[in-house]
Amino acid sequence: MAEFSITHTYQAAPERVFDAWLNPAVARLFLFATPAGEMIRAEVDARVGGRFTFTDRRPDMGDVLHTGEYLEIDRPRRLVFTFGVPQFNPDMTTVELDFAPAANGGCQLTLTQRQVPDEWADRSKEGWTKITASLEGALEGKKAQAWA
Amino acid sequence: MLDETLTALADPTRRAILARLASGEARVTEVAKPFAISLNAVSKHIRMLEKGGLVRRRIAGRDHYLTLNPKGLDEAAQWIEEQRALWQWRLAELDRVLKENPNG
Repeated sequence: MAEFSITHTYQAAPERVFDAWLNPAVARLFLFATPAGEMIRAEVDARVGGRFTFTDRRPDMGDVLHTGEYLEIDRPRRLVFTFGVPQFNPDMTTVELDFAPAANGGCQLTLTQRQVPDEWADRSKEGWTKITASLEGALEGKKAQAWA
Repeated sequence: MLDETLTALADPTRRAILARLASGEARVTEVAKPFAISLNAVSKHIRMLEKGGLVRRRIAGRDHYLTLNPKGLDEAAQWIEEQRALWQWRLAELDRVLKENPNG
């Protein structure tokens, strides 16, 4: 029940829609963004096992860090990553993206969000403790990078 | 409470227990019967469901009866709706970005 799927059809080719998620200059404009927030940091290590960090500066909450790992990268069909918001929650969420061709060269994207199942949760918690510790130093006084 | 509720829902055994209780009150032993795991293991799952505010226990003598707490799902359902709306907004933003940068 803590899972859901949504779809959206784009008039762009699957390759373009897929690449948008892994290109930090584009991803920062929508991924983990919120209507009132400002994305001040977007770093992507686009490989399986690679990590990402997106920091959304919000008027009510300050800087909200989203970080996670890429589990599957199958361009342009499927992208799967985990993410968490360590400041608020040690639990992780998995997002699965399936990109299918649509009419007129477009792309239908299906996004499925799931909570990480119990058997992975303990390992995740350990991972998050390490990540949060190493992020503390990185967060202090670090300026947002300008992306070309 | 929301975190406990979502954690409680993130397991197929626990979701199956909730599905069983949707048909009405049942004794713990009855609920545990269809599962291949021990009664002890099922009891742990039930405790997580109680902790998540999804299930209530009534003790009558030596019997423990479980019922679904319909309100327990409300907060989780609301959170899920908010998440879904946020992702829909993000997917729409991506659409706008792609249209504004046809060559990017």
